[in-house]
Order: sequence, then C-alpha cells, then structure tokens
Amino acid sequence: MRMHRTRVVCAALLAVSLAALGLAGSAQAKLTGNYTKFAQCPYTNSEVRKCLYSVTESGEVVLGAKKVPIESPVILQGGFGRPVKGYSPFFAATNGVTLSKVPQNVPGGLLGIVPTEKQSWLVKALIKFFFENSLTGVNSTLELAGPASEIVVSELNLAGEEGTALKLPVKVHLENPFLGKNCYVGSSSSPITWNLTTGETSPPAPNEPITGSGGEFSLLEEGRILEATGTSLVDNSWSAPSATGCGGIISFLVTPIINGQLGSTAAGHNTAILNNTVFIGASSAVKTNNEENP
Amino acid sequence: MNIKATAMSLVAMLALLGAIFAASASASPTWNFEEEPLTGSETILGGAYESSMTIPGLTTKCENFLYKLSIENEESAGKGSLTEMPLYNCTTDSTACSVGSIGAESLPWSSHLSTFSEENYIVIEGVKVGIYYEGEECVLGELLISVKGSAGGEIDNESETATFDSSTLSASETSLKALGQKIEWNGLFPTEAFEWHREEAISVS
Repeated sequence: MRMHRTRVVCAALLAVSLAALGLAGSAQAKLTGNYTKFAQCPYTNSEVRKCLYSVTESGEVVLGAKKVPIESPVILQGGFGRPVKGYSPFFAATNGVTLSKVPQNVPGGLLGIVPTEKQSWLVKALIKFFFENSLTGVNSTLELAGPASEIVVSELNLAGEEGTALKLPVKVHLENPFLGKNCYVGSSSSPITWNLTTGETSPPAPNEPITGSGGEFSLLEEGRILEATGTSLVDNSWSAPSATGCGGIISFLVTPIINGQLGSTAAGHNTAILNNTVFIGASSAVKTNNEENP
Repeated sequence: MNIKATAMSLVAMLALLGAIFAASASASPTWNFEEEPLTGSETILGGAYESSMTIPGLTTKCENFLYKLSIENEESAGKGSLTEMPLYNCTTDSTACSVGSIGAESLPWSSHLSTFSEENYIVIEGVKVGIYYEGEECVLGELLISVKGSAGGEIDNESETATFDSSTLSASETSLKALGQKIEWNGLFPTEAFEWHREEAISVS
C-alpha cells in the first residue's frame, strides 16, 4: 500500500515535471534566421512595437581619472513601445538579462586603482596578500541601475544624429576579492544616467564636444528588420556619484582610496563611447516568424 | 631690368586671373529656347518618366511624380524655383511596408544651373520629402522619414530631359539623406515649357 502511494506520488511528480517542460518548450521562441537575435524580446506584449538587440563591440568608459576600454561585447536587448513625443518606453528582455553583465578589464589592475605608496599598514598587508595570490586583476562591469522601464529610446534621434538616442541608467561594479562584492560607482537610488547621442555632445568643461555616429543602416527581411552598423553612441556630460562599499570590512579605509584615485567624477570629467551594431525588428514580424516555425 | 621683369610677371598674372574669371563666368549656363537665352520667366511642368528612391533594402516608386518649376536667367545664370511636386500612387518593393503618405515639404526649393566636368546640371537645393510608411510588420512604421539634401541632375539638350542618379549626384557634389544616411534617387524628367515657349526647343548652355 505504502509502495503503491510512493509510486503514485512519483508518477504525479514526473507528470508535473513533463508538463512544466512542455510548457517551457512552448513558451520558448522558435525564431529563425535574422529573427533569432530577438529571442528575448517581449514581442507577445501588445505594447511592444519594436524589438532591440544591440551589441557594443568596442568603446570606452572614462570615469574621472580612470579609463576602461570595452574589449568584451556587451548586449542590450528587449523591446520598446510606441513613441510619445519622439521617445519610446523600454520593456525588459524576457530572460531578465536586458543589459548583459560583462566584466571589462581595468588597465593597471589593483595597483591602478589602489597604489601601495602612502597606504596604511592594513591596506598594504591586504594588497600584499591578494598580490601573492595572483588576484591583482580588477574588472569593471556595467550594470543596469533600476528597472528596464527607465531606459528610453528614440529611433529618430538614433538615425538622425541629434538629441538623445538612448537614455541608460547604469552603475559600475568594480570587482576584485580585495574590493569585496559591493564596490559600486552609482546605485539604483543614485544611478549614473547616460544620455547617449549619435550626434554632437555639449559637455561642461574640461570635456570638449565629441561626436557619435548613426552608422550605416540597411533593411533586412523586406523592411521588417533594420541593421545599423558602426553606430557610435556618446555622452561626456554625465556625472557619477562617489564609489561605495569597496573593501568589505575595511570599506571605511578602501572606499576613500578608490574615490581618491578616481578623482573628480563631476560632469565634464567622464565619457562614455559605445560602438555598436544595432538590430531593430518590428515586433509583429518577430511574432509572425515565431508562429510560422512551431 | 628687374623692374621690367616684375612688371611683365604682373601682367602675365593678371592675364591668367582674367582668364580664370572668364572661365568661371562662362561656367554658369543659362536656360535657352530655340537657342536664344530666356528673357523673363517660364514654367516647366511635367511628370517624371520614371523615378525611384532607395534606402538600402527598400525601394519606393511613385507612379505619378509631377512637378512645376519656374525658371529664369538672372545675371547670365540659369535659376529656378520648384514650387509644386505632388506625388501619387507610391508603392514599395516590400511586402511589409506600404507608403501611407508622402509629400514635398518646405516648398519652394531653389535651383540653379551649373557645369561639372563640361556637362550641364540642374542643382535643386533644400529638398525635403516626408514619407510615412505603414505596415504592422514594417520596421519603419510609425516613423516620419524625412529625405533631405540637394540633388544634381544632368541635362540632355537633345532629349530635353534631366537625369538624376547616383553618378549625377556624385558629379554635382550633392546628396540626399534619410535617417542620417545617403540614399539613392533615380529619375528621368522631361524639361518642357508650358507657358510662353510651349513646344519650343529648350536647351541649357
């Protein structure tokens, strides 16, 4: 009797698991060709008019006195809605990864942001400990600060090379065992806001105007998908708050050092240059492609 | 001796400058009827024999591409003003995008005659055409695409036509842009007078 009950429970669990797998399978996109890039676009949401898949292939982020080149591709994906006064609201990627968290190497590593001279014995000892463990590399990871709904897109400004094409609230995660897990510049409550343009910036001094580019575009799938290559989004007018939470339990010692090394991060001292390939697809076309390929 | 040489060099230089100015003056062609320069003004009215606009991946054609161009010679140089350009029955080569509306904006557009590589051109400036594409699956849907710039077309006196294509735009150092990118425009337009010089042979020289 007991044996039988166990079998029934096992069979029920198996049935539930299979059903769950089946449901997961049916919810998964079966996109083909050029449409596969939009697998994480929330195209089933009727408010979503276009799907976005943008790969930042190169560029740099200058934060005060530190420059971090973008060497590993970063992906921004999701959907956006009908424009209101030229600006479209953004919708998060279905897998939750709207902005991929890709670590970028900080030139100079730990020594580049925490030089040993003039440090307290405790900081020196800890740096020595981490150096001896060959853990001197520091990564900088760009993360979305806040929900994807705070992202704003303007297709016309993107192509027209004027005004804000992409408003992106971000925070910078500095990663190294010595710096701990919570070393950030910017936060959800105090984000770094990039107003990226493909046109010319007008930053406060000492920065000087820089110019982005709308790149070269072509229409794919008979006008259902737009591909823009060589798109350069730039902003050098933004400000950043001070770093927080660096150094774990000795944060009170390390965080001021990081901030000292970063120097002024007031507007006019920072730059973001993102060189991208951008794909925009009509959400209805993506939906049709999915339905045509069961 | 030195003074004489300097004076001769000066004279030679002035002569050279004179020749250059004369050449550039003759570089501005005029509108002519029956081989006589146009006096006063005239109206060219017509419809394109063919015309299409291509942004990479999408070609738009208009069955009826009409235009009204007022022309005159001003200080021995052919000028003009495109005052009307209605476009009808426009379609695309895409199954996803159709033309919801299309129209010339900011008319009149000024024009002038010019010579490039010994060929006569009509250069139209301040071109602005708004296109609103429709289609649920059209990625350009819900966007007002603005085609802006200037366009140079080569004039053929024999056939009394003006041809606009990528080579004539390039030769005349003009370009049309949409969404921040150069686009292609091909068109063959008759240059026929419809007012005082109707049925007279029109030429540019």
